[in-house]
Amino acid sequence: MHIVVCMKQVPRDNSVKINADLTINADGIEQIMNLFDEYAVEEALQWNEKLGGKVTILSIGPEDWKEQIRRALAMGATDSLLLSDPAFTNLDTFGAARVAAAAIKKLGDVDLVLCGRNSTDDETGAFAPALARLLGWTQLTYVGKVVTLESGRIVAERHLEEVVETVEASLPAVVTVVKGINEPRYPSLLRIRKVAKVEIPTWSAADVGLSAADLTPRLNLVNRVPPPPRPKGEIIEGKDATEKVARLVDKLMEAQVI
Amino acid sequence: MANEIWVVIERTAHGDMAGVSKELLGKARELADANGMKVGALILGAGIGDLAQVAFSYGADTAYVVDDGALAQYTTDGYVGTAAALAKKYQPALILTGAGFQMRDFSAALAAELDTGVAADSTNVMIENGTVSAVRSSHGGNVINTLTFAPGRTAVVSVRKQSFPEPQANPDRSGAAVTENLPGVPMRAKVVSVAPKQGAVNLSDAAIIVSGGRGLGSPENYYKLIPPLAEAVGGAYGASRAIVDAGWVPYEHQVGQTGKTVSPKLYMAIGISGAIQHLAGMRSSRTIVAINKDPDAPIFRVATYGVVGDANEIVPLLTEEIKKRTGR
Repeated sequence: MHIVVCMKQVPRDNSVKINADLTINADGIEQIMNLFDEYAVEEALQWNEKLGGKVTILSIGPEDWKEQIRRALAMGATDSLLLSDPAFTNLDTFGAARVAAAAIKKLGDVDLVLCGRNSTDDETGAFAPALARLLGWTQLTYVGKVVTLESGRIVAERHLEEVVETVEASLPAVVTVVKGINEPRYPSLLRIRKVAKVEIPTWSAADVGLSAADLTPRLNLVNRVPPPPRPKGEIIEGKDATEKVARLVDKLMEAQVI
Repeated sequence: MANEIWVVIERTAHGDMAGVSKELLGKARELADANGMKVGALILGAGIGDLAQVAFSYGADTAYVVDDGALAQYTTDGYVGTAAALAKKYQPALILTGAGFQMRDFSAALAAELDTGVAADSTNVMIENGTVSAVRSSHGGNVINTLTFAPGRTAVVSVRKQSFPEPQANPDRSGAAVTENLPGVPMRAKVVSVAPKQGAVNLSDAAIIVSGGRGLGSPENYYKLIPPLAEAVGGAYGASRAIVDAGWVPYEHQVGQTGKTVSPKLYMAIGISGAIQHLAGMRSSRTIVAINKDPDAPIFRVATYGVVGDANEIVPLLTEEIKKRTGR
């Protein structure tokens, strides 16, 4: 079975700044693998250990994203693909889905695509559903357990807010996973050394047959601001805990929140 | 492009109209009235009953109804295939959905099917001179984006609950019900079973949330202090990532960048220092109470009311005082 994992590199924390041209400035913030994608990588590796085949890490980004691709290879992924082109710099979510769909079609033999439920930076959760529709494949989001995976068929539990849905679907499929589906492994030192020099295949827009027009954003960013500051708060003082508690409850009753 | 705003109607487990759908009908009505447009309710399902009338009472002019056994359970193929066929036929200018998991699945796939974009988990939507724009946060609430849809394409916007007030229902309002048939769409997924989640907690719906963190010292302290206080204030209880990862509390309860994003009217953060990932998930709460030993904890920078002190001493007193005053 050939499983592709779509992996995004994101800032470790979101204390980002906004540049004058409305782009995001994450200078000085460590870049990591999107947390939810780590679960996707681990899930792919576990099924690969049972079923054989290969696990390809696919990422759309600049050259320096190879660091996170290498991390996934050191975890145990067998193959990798970086989609990198100046034309990809300002992709919206659906533009990214178009690039990934073109690459997956070109790979040709893919049975399953795994993604994290969303990225922790843009937080749209729309990439995987868009990818599934563009490929014309089944889509299963918020999966907390893959029960069965076999040729042409998947059974998975979708963990929704209040219920767990067990769904049976046909492959090929695009599946997004939630935190808690597994415990992602650490890359082994041996493998880190082994993959340090591995060449990561890189495809451009032309390689996947996309033009600039194909990548036109469907949504245009017209403004980007930090959130409004919260009104200044108040530290409740008192001679002891009992007095502080009484004053706090006074405030909460005055504000009619309890 | 028709002059219509559609609201995709969601149901509760009991089959009633979900609160978020009422909120969206209210917003759609307001936008339609200001822009000379109409409101359509898209009602998909099986045994839909009088939902069309409910939609009229909350502001819809037209209800597009597909009542078919194949839509008894949500599947992406069934719901998106049907909605896309109807949207192509009637060409609404804007389609609004809630932003729960099922509708996030739906709205993104629908937008792709209609070759448009989706403004996901938005908190506001505007129409000006025929152009639809939406406001959504990213980067854990540290960035607020305004996005504009290209004219001539149906705009798809999923909206976070409680972004708009629920309108007053007017049972005398009526409208036109349009019955449509299920189009021929491939159905590649089948829901085999649906089970209630064990220990399910719908933090997104809670008006009050009491959360605990590592400052409580132990899982025993968490369970001794946090659920009783949550019960006293009639709220749900949450947790920081640190104690979820440490195995004190199930992931269901995690508030933050990799857990739930919440904006209740009251959020109480107890023994939570306020890592940026946690602040990301709760900073838009209306009133924030922080209780922490460390006066320099970052949580105090977002708190409306802060109490410096040991949670193990303060929380039992607070729980008792609230019970006494509210008579719970």
